[in-house]
Amino acid sequence: MSTATDIASVDTVTAADRGRRWSAVVADFCRRRPLGAIGAGVVVLMIVVALTAPGIAPYDPLNIDFAAMLAPPDAAHWLGTDAYGRDVLSRIIYGSQTALIVGFGAAFIGATAGAVLGVGSAYFGGRTDLVVQRFMDIFISFPLIILALAMVAILGNTLPNLIIAITVPMIPRCSLVIRSSALSIREMPYVDAARAAGYGHARIILRHMLPNVMAPYLIMLTSFLGQAILLEASLSFLGLGVQEPTAAWGLMLRGAAVEFAETAPWMALFPGLAISLAVFAFNLFGDSLRDALDPKLRTG
Amino acid sequence: MWRYLINRFLLMIPTLLGVAIIIFLLLRVIPGDVVEAKFMSGEGSGVSNEVLAAERARLGLDKPVWEQFAIWIWGVARFDFGISMWTGGPISEEIALRFALSLQVALMATIVATLLALPLGVIAALKQDTWVDYAVRVFSIAGLAMPSFWLGILMILGFLIFFKWVPPMVYTPFWIDPWQNMVQLVWPALAVGYRYSAVATRMTRSSMLEVLREDYIRTARAKGLWLKLILVRHALKNAMLPVVTVIGLEFAFLLGGLVVTEQVFNLNGLGLLFVQAITRRDYTLTQALVLLVAAAFIFVNFAMDVMYAWLDPRIRFR
Repeated sequence: MSTATDIASVDTVTAADRGRRWSAVVADFCRRRPLGAIGAGVVVLMIVVALTAPGIAPYDPLNIDFAAMLAPPDAAHWLGTDAYGRDVLSRIIYGSQTALIVGFGAAFIGATAGAVLGVGSAYFGGRTDLVVQRFMDIFISFPLIILALAMVAILGNTLPNLIIAITVPMIPRCSLVIRSSALSIREMPYVDAARAAGYGHARIILRHMLPNVMAPYLIMLTSFLGQAILLEASLSFLGLGVQEPTAAWGLMLRGAAVEFAETAPWMALFPGLAISLAVFAFNLFGDSLRDALDPKLRTG
Repeated sequence: MWRYLINRFLLMIPTLLGVAIIIFLLLRVIPGDVVEAKFMSGEGSGVSNEVLAAERARLGLDKPVWEQFAIWIWGVARFDFGISMWTGGPISEEIALRFALSLQVALMATIVATLLALPLGVIAALKQDTWVDYAVRVFSIAGLAMPSFWLGILMILGFLIFFKWVPPMVYTPFWIDPWQNMVQLVWPALAVGYRYSAVATRMTRSSMLEVLREDYIRTARAKGLWLKLILVRHALKNAMLPVVTVIGLEFAFLLGGLVVTEQVFNLNGLGLLFVQAITRRDYTLTQALVLLVAAAFIFVNFAMDVMYAWLDPRIRFR
């Protein structure tokens, strides 16, 4: 029996095949879902901007220049300056780093924790399921922003804590969705087979069940990305999120942006546009991804 | 049917109790308490420890946590939420004033959202994958993407620049001057209503798409029924359930979730009260607010389940 070599050869074939299939999938996605492709394009652009921020930002985002306070958009400051004379464009460029870190961090942790809980809850069933689901019910009844507010108040508002605070309200929402898909997977013969083979619970959950809820997982992940960015902006706007002088979009809308709105509207306009464009792109991409992966899942 | 209803009703109690326990514990984990917030906010305030201790004793904060909880929950069970630890006024009064405002904005936003969402969602579903559909989808995704508070800032900014006018910033109750009241509250309702309508539009669209593929719609069309009649009688009626659910849940969230938009429009509603309560460590007030909002949410959920059971016999006899 040359089982090992057989498996190896099968693996190499699928790997090569997979490479070709992936590019075909991407091309197909762009052709059939132009809106989604646009969204994905903007997301990629944002990531590039965030990564190359020091190279492309015309000024240091923290550089205070009282000579150029509240300067309107012109050749020197394309999007104007704020009440401290800081360049708005540079702050928006650097703000994309904050938004992406919080967005990806919170969405990834929230969706993953939710998925593990959801699959675990479905797998064990019975009393465990009941207890976990009641807990999720309780957390879901808390309004999103209020739960995040309380978490920030407890943990303090550093960036990692902010991510955790935003993650907490997401976990139950994700676990509910994942659990319902995992319920049917639990009845699959391969799960029985894995159990019969004597694998532990953790291995069955992580290796056999989790990969099979990838579609709802990805859908939740992408929809959380936009929500996390919005929630971060709201918290920062309230003064409970990212702190000055860090560049963050929600923070840029706070205080002076509202006070001087009449004389310096660019301060309120452009950061909000950045938030909207980012969330718009993530949602557009997420929507199309959902349509492509699972047309049955409802648009919520 | 009755058994299902009673079961479902009783299930609300442990959930609410869970909410109560968690918010109670969460608040006590937050560093600092109301006494510190009150006396220690200024620098070098010369308040002795005895005064602080006496104040804590007066508020019952020196008792063991479980005892505090027991006292509070016993009050809640009799609909007595106690007094605010910060102002000393009865909580029901503190909340009632703000509740009227938040409720009105939430109701107005719901009207805005429904008026936008139903026609847009139905048209998008009927014209699936045409430019109409794309336009509606882009419009609603944009609604989800724009922060309501930013939309509010833009509105105020637009009025200032183009009309040299600002919406009134001082709240006038509806029963005193309905016109003044509406002129103030219609803008936050629109700002929040846009996002709200986006959620409802998307649900209407997908729900209609699903229903339009059903056999009975094809039968109705094959019978040669008038398209408008099919839409209203057969399709919309059946597609409405999830839409109503989403509208109900969003409404419940709006009651307490207007936190950020209220700041922009200088509204003294539940959202602002919540932020104040939590920064002042006003335990009793925060607890009451969270319970109120959670109860609204849980109740809407319950009402939806009852409606589903009433409309769908398969659930009823499970």
